[in-house]
Amino acid sequence: MTVIDHNVPSTWAQTLTAPLKAALQNPWVESIVRLSAVEDSLRALHPMLSLSEVRTRVVRIAQETADTKTFVLQPNALWSAALAGQFVRVRVEIKGRQVERVYSLSSRPGARRLAITVKRQPGGLLSNHLHDHTRVGDVLALSQAAGDFVLPAQLPEKILLLSAGSGITPVMAMLRDLQARQYACDLVFFHACRTPADAIFAQALDGMALSFPALKRITHFTATAARLTPDTLHWAVPDLDQRATWMCGPSAFMEAVHGLWQDAAIAAPLHSERFATTPLLPASSPGTPVTVRCAASAQDFTTRGGDALLVQAERAGLSPKHGCRIGICRSCQCTKTSGTVENLQTGEVSSAPNELIRLCISAARSDLTLDL
Amino acid sequence: MSFAKPHPLSREQVDQFEREVNAIRDGVMNDLGQADVDHIRRMIRICRASEVGGRALLHFGVGPLSWVAGVLALANAKILDNMEIGHNVMHGQYDWTGDPTLNSQTFEWDIACDGEQWRHSHNVTHHTYTNILGKDRDLGYSLLRMTEAQRWKPRHWFQPLANLLLALGFQYGVGSHDLEIGRYTHGAMPKEEFKARLNRFVTKTAKQWFKDYLLFPALALWSAPRVLAGNFCANLIRNLWTYVVIFCGHFTEGVAIYREEDTRNETRGDWYLRQLSGSSNLTGSRLFHIMSGHLSHQIEHHLFPDMPAHRYPEVAPKIQALCEKYGLFYNTGSLFKQYWTVMARILTYTLPPKKVSALPS
Repeated sequence: MTVIDHNVPSTWAQTLTAPLKAALQNPWVESIVRLSAVEDSLRALHPMLSLSEVRTRVVRIAQETADTKTFVLQPNALWSAALAGQFVRVRVEIKGRQVERVYSLSSRPGARRLAITVKRQPGGLLSNHLHDHTRVGDVLALSQAAGDFVLPAQLPEKILLLSAGSGITPVMAMLRDLQARQYACDLVFFHACRTPADAIFAQALDGMALSFPALKRITHFTATAARLTPDTLHWAVPDLDQRATWMCGPSAFMEAVHGLWQDAAIAAPLHSERFATTPLLPASSPGTPVTVRCAASAQDFTTRGGDALLVQAERAGLSPKHGCRIGICRSCQCTKTSGTVENLQTGEVSSAPNELIRLCISAARSDLTLDL
Repeated sequence: MSFAKPHPLSREQVDQFEREVNAIRDGVMNDLGQADVDHIRRMIRICRASEVGGRALLHFGVGPLSWVAGVLALANAKILDNMEIGHNVMHGQYDWTGDPTLNSQTFEWDIACDGEQWRHSHNVTHHTYTNILGKDRDLGYSLLRMTEAQRWKPRHWFQPLANLLLALGFQYGVGSHDLEIGRYTHGAMPKEEFKARLNRFVTKTAKQWFKDYLLFPALALWSAPRVLAGNFCANLIRNLWTYVVIFCGHFTEGVAIYREEDTRNETRGDWYLRQLSGSSNLTGSRLFHIMSGHLSHQIEHHLFPDMPAHRYPEVAPKIQALCEKYGLFYNTGSLFKQYWTVMARILTYTLPPKKVSALPS
């Protein structure tokens, strides 16, 4: 997902806090009072107060389906704005660890309150925490909105919004945006889910249908109707090739639709949002050559053999900072943005995104992105 | 004794020892959670409150009692910041939390030693090459002769005085340690590199002086001398305390010193054994352990430098039992007893070698 800057004007709170924060980060000021001390003091005064962090208070929790909840959030003044379809990173501390996941906003852009709609993932750390432990009144830390899966300022004549399962969330924000912008041309919203009981936002959509004449809604239940195939979609929306399409859903679903676009040589634009935050790459066997992307230095290299990443990087001509080379000093520690590594000392294999790893004792077990 | 004799363990026993130490480590590392983060955050809160309280007493207090209280509170803050918080956070003991304010590679502390230079001289050099003569620059800090294997020079006559001065200005000793002045004067370090290192040290020291000896005294207006003297004494107390604790970690009677050639091709188990025999513990209360940054558990710290330090008291009995099982020396004692042996060592090696009969070990 590329994050693009949509040049959102800064809020009054940002204008006020930015110079203060910059001053506190000056090394001479920092040696007297640390930014973290100021932040902690502000938090002690009021949990929503911060110089740098968007925090939101949970004001309402709605059960959408058996395994999906919507969290309505009241942001503090540092929140800028979002465009329909964008996502935020939600950060929560779970058992002492900072856990961050990406969720699309389902609320209407410009609304006073934000909403994220979260489906419980089997074994998911954050989704289960939000479902089981988050209560009204809790405070969640958020990033600003990001993402380029958005509607343009100039809306096309014919639109298709296509979603499956919990991929409906950014699409819901788009529908709300289109209604608010009084879109009066031709809008088809095609949604696929297992059963009527799994239909997220069913009630809200029923309500919307009454007051939004441009909207044509098609819901496909995969448990009762035939399996969703490109042909089903083509049959339901025959003028696919004339519509600008925005799509979000499970990877397999989106790949199938992309295939349809390719096979039928459809020229109309197809925008898609990969719903899973980072596609989990299956761990390859030790020693398999993989590509390591060093994001900060914009250099890539391919691994050879099962050596630690530090050795691999040096072999490729890079010279990462390092010290002991045996996993003690952490000089070579860097953030692995995505991918799977094996800790050569413990044998532990980890795929967690944004994880600190030591290059000297980590071996690549999938393609990696590092902040080197 | 000159160098550590090979330990009595066979290759299989070393490997077995390694596995058992790893198991002790895993037991704690797989159990890290909220309680560990809560502990370090509590320490940070106490440290901040102590600093604010101490500075307030020095600024606004009246009379000598409030001055003494202010000095003690500020010294307490600096000790907590340097020992239980700074030293431990910079070892990466809390990197697993993902909290950017507890990140080992960006943390900076309230002492004349630059954080980045500390990470190099301490985490890289000292913790990797612990007690290897010629590699571990903490062995006498290039100032003191701590073993008969170090060549005696006439300047060592002044060793007791040098030791006293190092204790009084310990933060500058630690701060200038990574300059490697000796290497530079022998032409083994390029001038540019030395200048860059010197610049870091001077800048950090200037920041500390600006804060403690210029800004805060100036803010106190007519109380400036009171604040200046208070800040100086707080720094002095911190220097003395950290000096005593740190010297008891590796220079007590019975710690082993190694030759580089004996430590090549070390396995993890060999490394564990070197860390164990090169470190010594201090006994004391929970408060004592916290005030020492848990360096009172130097052995456990050297075995597991990135384990949250407040867990050391929990693993110490297991390590001690393991030592008993393998017939290894677990060096521990009271602060007074251990420091006494450190002083004995410093005084012993003040004298030229021909007059020394043997190291008391």
